[in-house]
Amino acid sequence: MKLNFVHVHLLLNHVPTVGTIIALGLLMLALVKKSQELKRASFALFFAIALVSLPTYMTGYSAQKAIKDRPGVSSSLIEQHQSAALLALIFMEATGVVAWFGLWQARKRSAAAGWNAPVVLLLSAVTIGLMAAAANIGGEISHPEIMSAGEAPGGTLAPAALTSASISHFQFAHPWAWPTLETLHFIGLSLLFGIVLAGNLRILGFMKNAPFLDVHRLLPWGVWGFVLNSVTGMMFFAGASGQYIENPAFHLKVVFMLLAGANVLYLTWFDEVWALGPGANAPLSAKLVAASQVFLWIGVIYFGRMLPYIGNAF
Amino acid sequence: MDAYFEWLQGLRLSMWIAESESIWAFPFVLFLHSAGMGVSAGSAFVIALRLLGLAGPVPVSSLRVLFKIFWAGFFLNLVTGSILFAAHATITGHIPIYYAKLTLILAGMLLSVPIRGFVDGEASDSVIPASIRTLAGVSLVVWIGVIATGRLIAYAQ
Repeated sequence: MKLNFVHVHLLLNHVPTVGTIIALGLLMLALVKKSQELKRASFALFFAIALVSLPTYMTGYSAQKAIKDRPGVSSSLIEQHQSAALLALIFMEATGVVAWFGLWQARKRSAAAGWNAPVVLLLSAVTIGLMAAAANIGGEISHPEIMSAGEAPGGTLAPAALTSASISHFQFAHPWAWPTLETLHFIGLSLLFGIVLAGNLRILGFMKNAPFLDVHRLLPWGVWGFVLNSVTGMMFFAGASGQYIENPAFHLKVVFMLLAGANVLYLTWFDEVWALGPGANAPLSAKLVAASQVFLWIGVIYFGRMLPYIGNAF
Repeated sequence: MDAYFEWLQGLRLSMWIAESESIWAFPFVLFLHSAGMGVSAGSAFVIALRLLGLAGPVPVSSLRVLFKIFWAGFFLNLVTGSILFAAHATITGHIPIYYAKLTLILAGMLLSVPIRGFVDGEASDSVIPASIRTLAGVSLVVWIGVIATGRLIAYAQ
């Protein structure tokens, strides 16, 4: 079965829609039963969904390219769907980041901070609403039969500023925009990679006098680097999607990034490494995970740098 | 200077790097330079953030190994940076922002001396003096400047 990104979009789009409802249900159950374990599980789920939502959004551009010129398909409806999806994506990523912080805090003080669960609850509820609105418009693109008689297609939660056309227009109109985004992207990568090195060196057996738990406290800076690069990265993508959607270097970059993200979740979720005392040796499995993280992020840098050179050039 | 730039650009290696279609030429050297940036600027950021008190309680003495890693990345970028410069020396040699980058790199190297002196010293795990915190803050700005000026070289051509 050959991989078709249009198909991938229609498969993945179930994740930020149905997945978030399940994760929210799990969080509510956790709060009712006062269960830390269920709460952590829901946070991990929100983080994983936030990661998968990125390729979900991106493959939408392949779907757009495939059908926008078909008779009966409204280009403007596709653009509304795209901007509604970006609005929903922003809240989805915010939910994922706050949920990750909850997981991180749970290790620092054996339970997430008091404010964390209510904030995740609120953000995820808003996300679900926005995802539903985006999904509804998306459905109308190829299935106008879902609309009731007299209902107009499209929706109001689709700000024009969030279409790729306006982002691209902004970048053209301001020649400083792209170099600034690139500089920020490099700063984010350095910050992220610095933490990846410092964080994993301890697990690999260096920095032995540092307690694991202290090294763990460095991780949020890595997440901020990742957030900065996701935001700047999405600006690149939305502004010039043609450079990316059929570029094999970009596909591989995204795959490596998702694997690295899953890797971060593993290190944040599992206890064995962080429970070790100063001077202790991490188990081999943890060392392999740590080494793979360094490898995966080098891979992300590699495919990122190779974007103009592998596949279709800029 | 122009004669020197032309000589650099005319070297067999420079010409191969600049003209070859192979991914192992210019693109790969550029990748190594980006990875070196991640390693050197990244470790510099971690050290600076810790000394500024913004990165939790990890013992300052445990960061000593990061200086070795910083210099490994720095050396990689010295080599790859020289190759990248030589490949287009007659152009890059006339770009002011390139010299701004070199100046900032020099500043970063100079700042690393007292910072490393503190981290390697016996007082590293006690209170961090205000002077070291200031140097760490300046170092953060300097390395951000190196990244920014480096990125802008391509736009100044």
